[in-house]
Amino acid sequence: MTEHVTVWLGAYHDGELRGLRLRQVEAHLAHCATCRTELERLGALTALLQESPAAAGLTPPERFVAQVKLRLPRRPERPATQRALETGWRLAPLGLLGAWAFIQAMFIVAGVVLVALRMGLGGEVIAGLFPASQQGAWLTDAFTLSDAGLNDIGRSALWLLSGGGGLGWTLTLHLVLLVVIGLLYWSWLASWVVRTRIPGQQRIR
Amino acid sequence: MDSRPALPAETELRLITLAQQGDRRAFGELVRRHREGVVNVVYRMCEDANLAEDAAQEAFIRAWQHLPSYRPRSPFRNWVYRIATNVALDALRRERETVNVDMLPPVASQDGPEATVEGKERGEQVRQAVLALPPASRAVLVLREYEGLSYREIADTLGIPIGTVMSRLNYARNRLRELLAPCLEAL
Repeated sequence: MTEHVTVWLGAYHDGELRGLRLRQVEAHLAHCATCRTELERLGALTALLQESPAAAGLTPPERFVAQVKLRLPRRPERPATQRALETGWRLAPLGLLGAWAFIQAMFIVAGVVLVALRMGLGGEVIAGLFPASQQGAWLTDAFTLSDAGLNDIGRSALWLLSGGGGLGWTLTLHLVLLVVIGLLYWSWLASWVVRTRIPGQQRIR
Repeated sequence: MDSRPALPAETELRLITLAQQGDRRAFGELVRRHREGVVNVVYRMCEDANLAEDAAQEAFIRAWQHLPSYRPRSPFRNWVYRIATNVALDALRRERETVNVDMLPPVASQDGPEATVEGKERGEQVRQAVLALPPASRAVLVLREYEGLSYREIADTLGIPIGTVMSRLNYARNRLRELLAPCLEAL
């Protein structure tokens, strides 16, 4: 005869066993009178427990509800800073989407403008878009790239953007920015999952 | 066992959402629907009807205060039972300082004059035996035997592993079988 399954009988009695363990207990019970008796005693105990009467003379349901509602305190308002942070957190994906769109647009526009400048078309195009009175100093600087209008760093950046440093550098910079945005998005998603799951687990006091 | 009909999940979810936004009428409806279960859990934990009603009201007030942090990952019933169990344990702790559990008044019988003396005595013995259990084991026993929760639901409600549910339940049943041996033999 195999070892008694006393430790699993409670779970078997409650219908909580599955799979292999269930089959093991059933097989054991089929030929073990001792464990069958134990199981019957568990059933008898459950029946006996039900003999203890339920609470009597309770307040009628509607009155109970009214009493609870009367005792409900005003829920404290969350501070404005916390609400603002919460809203900001919820809007984070939109911000990331905006950043992604901005980077894409920046690369396209910068490429178009610099190609136009190299071909000597920039002056006419910009002059057509903006009347002379609205042209700011930044436009003047943009059209005098080869002059002293930009410092060395700015000139290097535009040189890279225009492909002067090779297509590889431009693509690398582009990809790095997109990867950073992607990582930020996945981090937000992970924190959203964590925030959704954890609160139900805490002990409430 | 719990014979109350299950609520349609969507309706309950809607009520919870409204209550989370501060709707007291929606919360009142949740109280009305879960009152019986919560009172029963607390009553089985402390075996005193007056104490159970007060503690049940306290449990619902705590639920109202913590409702914004509730996430419907687990059923509302389990969540509110967890609060009720905590409140019952707190109430028992307070009561123990002033009242001896052995001196608690016997419960009024619902069976009327035709109920046998033997049945009343047995019910009283069961009540005292359940009260003699350690609170942690009693909570598991009450949720299983009187509320019919599954082991997973009990684990979720009390925030303990399923293995602990099993061991506490085994302990509680073995202890009750010792305490109620004469009653069980008479059955």
